[in-house]
Amino acid sequence: MVRRYLSAFSAREVWEMKSKKVFVIGAFALALLLGACSSSSDKSTESTPTESAAAFPTEDLTLNISWWGEQEAPGATKWLEETIALYTKEHPNVTIKHVLQTTEGLVPAFEAAAAAQSGPDIQYFWGGIYAQQPGWDGNIVPVSDYIAEDELSHYINAKMEEGFQGKIWTAPWYVNPSFPLLVRKDILAANGLEVPTNWDQLMNVCDALSAKNITTIAGGVKDGWFGGWIYSILGAQSVQSQADVINAVVGNTKFTDPEHAGWWSKLEESKKHKCWNDDINSLELYQAQQRFVDGKAAMTITAGPDAPNFAKKAGGDEKVQIMAMPAWSDGPLAGKMGTTSQTLGITKWSKYPEVAADFLKFAHTSDRLNAWFAATGSMPADDRFDLTQVTSPSTKALFESAIQGAPYLENFIPAKLDTDAVFKNVQLVLKGTMTGPEAAADMQDQMERLRTSDRKLVDNFTAWAK
Amino acid sequence: MTLLRGKKEVAGVEMRRRPLLRSREAALWIAPAALVILFIFGYSVITLLIQSFRYDGNWVGFDNFSIVITDPLFHIALKHNAILLITVPILVLIAFVLAITLFETRRGMRFFRSAVFLPYVLPIPVVAVIFGQIYQLHGALNVFLESIGLDSLAQDWLGDPKVALGTMSSVIIWKEVGFGVILMLAHIISLPNETYEAARIDGAGFWRTHISITRPAILNTIVFYGVIEAITMVSWVFNYVYVMSNGLGGPGNATMVSELYIYRSAFQDKAPELAATAAVFLFMATLLLMIAFFRIQRKSIAGTFNK
Repeated sequence: MVRRYLSAFSAREVWEMKSKKVFVIGAFALALLLGACSSSSDKSTESTPTESAAAFPTEDLTLNISWWGEQEAPGATKWLEETIALYTKEHPNVTIKHVLQTTEGLVPAFEAAAAAQSGPDIQYFWGGIYAQQPGWDGNIVPVSDYIAEDELSHYINAKMEEGFQGKIWTAPWYVNPSFPLLVRKDILAANGLEVPTNWDQLMNVCDALSAKNITTIAGGVKDGWFGGWIYSILGAQSVQSQADVINAVVGNTKFTDPEHAGWWSKLEESKKHKCWNDDINSLELYQAQQRFVDGKAAMTITAGPDAPNFAKKAGGDEKVQIMAMPAWSDGPLAGKMGTTSQTLGITKWSKYPEVAADFLKFAHTSDRLNAWFAATGSMPADDRFDLTQVTSPSTKALFESAIQGAPYLENFIPAKLDTDAVFKNVQLVLKGTMTGPEAAADMQDQMERLRTSDRKLVDNFTAWAK
Repeated sequence: MTLLRGKKEVAGVEMRRRPLLRSREAALWIAPAALVILFIFGYSVITLLIQSFRYDGNWVGFDNFSIVITDPLFHIALKHNAILLITVPILVLIAFVLAITLFETRRGMRFFRSAVFLPYVLPIPVVAVIFGQIYQLHGALNVFLESIGLDSLAQDWLGDPKVALGTMSSVIIWKEVGFGVILMLAHIISLPNETYEAARIDGAGFWRTHISITRPAILNTIVFYGVIEAITMVSWVFNYVYVMSNGLGGPGNATMVSELYIYRSAFQDKAPELAATAAVFLFMATLLLMIAFFRIQRKSIAGTFNK
């Protein structure tokens, strides 16, 4: 058949076709060879993360830090630069450089570094799954290999969020009470209303304020993040613990079960009561929060580290109350503030993990903990932090609530489920194009699909749950 | 006679050999550049293909293809690329109308030409950020509509899943149309003036002149622009979508496109193998468009020479 086909061409054309074929095969072989070379070099760079900590190096070295946090804890850059200066003064052979990432760029930048197996020595992670996944992927080494257990035991949320099979992946840096509702008592009082203490009262406030064309809760879901916050503060109210969520992730229960689906209906209810600003879908999270400061909204939800600053800008404790989201359920976590810690991990490719770990410990010295609070007004993730220096009663209450807070649910679901179901469906429910039950059903569909496409997910989450 | 035939045969062989020698010589000259291109382009394509058949370092056959092809989100992304593809004729038409309008505009042509081309040279992120503000529910466009009594037309342009993709395409059209206008205008200006004068003497009006003379005369350019824009809509809209939807392709999945699907798979969902698989599909789609372009171009060039 092939011969008959070839006979239709001249000898030259046949020669040309054969040459082309040989060339293509040659190029393919060359590429395979190069591919093989690159994978063999990958293997040669693999290190054993459980090696014991070596002596502190004396040669000149540079550490790179890729981080995020100025966005929710203004003043963090100042603190970091000050801490680096103090540390390098003590260790003149160490140079530390840092790069502040954008919110959208934090995870992709790290993924790009992981793909190249080159990049920062110290990497910032949000807590829970965001710190677990890099460990599961083999891109970070457990900090517990370099920092003693008694030291790590002081780091708030280390075990709950960053623990995996007896190891601690990352070192919590600062606490994020997640997420407080900030209420402007002055606006409520001006409209003859009181601070709501349960869900029904909150809906009544929404009805009263929307009738006067006043936004009750200012938010922005265009960039999605706020959706994850809402899930955590509403969704946590009907579960017993984070284990319930992990059970739904691995398939033991469903996201359509009442304890996981109820919050979607509550979100829909809040939309019907016009609790949110009408342009919530076209605003980003931080754009919307500004309306609270400007007095154009009675409430907003902020990142815990930034809550004291927001309260201050809006008139302080006199005018603002910082509180947990009013309860809609009688679950054990309802009405309780969530807690998560933003963390720092040591990358697998770092040549100086022991120096990185030493810097992380330095960041937890008493002077640095106090300096963090002074610079940012938020709480460092260390139970040795002296709370007596917090003068604002509401800030103090916020910090105390975060020490023994409820698990922050968003950190216990796969990041893809967060994006594909939570972010997306919150946008649609708040736009009024999806109902609560539809959102729950879609979340379950997304989860089932994810169990197929992420072939290690069930094993990893099952191991995490133990 | 025999001698003559012999000479002719020798000459024939010579003639056959010369092109062969020429083509071999040409190949030799082209080879270094071709090898570099093949290495840069071929290596990445082959690596992409290999990655699409692997998971966690192991060969998994067509598993990744099965996952991607059954993913409803990928279907949505492809559907949106197809919808954007439908806007290409609109884009070409607008560019053509603007080009002939500018051609007929005697005064201030340079100013208008620059004004039309300006959006094309603006960085996409800048354009996307500005339009992101304009299209907010309480943004400049709705404020303007309300001020002229057209409240009913005001929409949540980027926040409503029903209109978000249309809004996105309007920005793409606004940005891309300048390129087409300049391409077509340059070609129209180079056309012989006598043809237009003859048409006018014969009483042809504005539309008749441009539909019957300009359009066929610049068909090559129109086709070229159409294919370039088709490729843009299939594989070059990432920047618009990423900036205007904050990397989500929202609201919901309303503006999800295949490039964003690939990006998210690779860098957010930590599934490089699925990103590679989706990229293979996108590469094939782009390749088809390029083949179509070269075929059309060859045909139209041949047609021009035949004429």
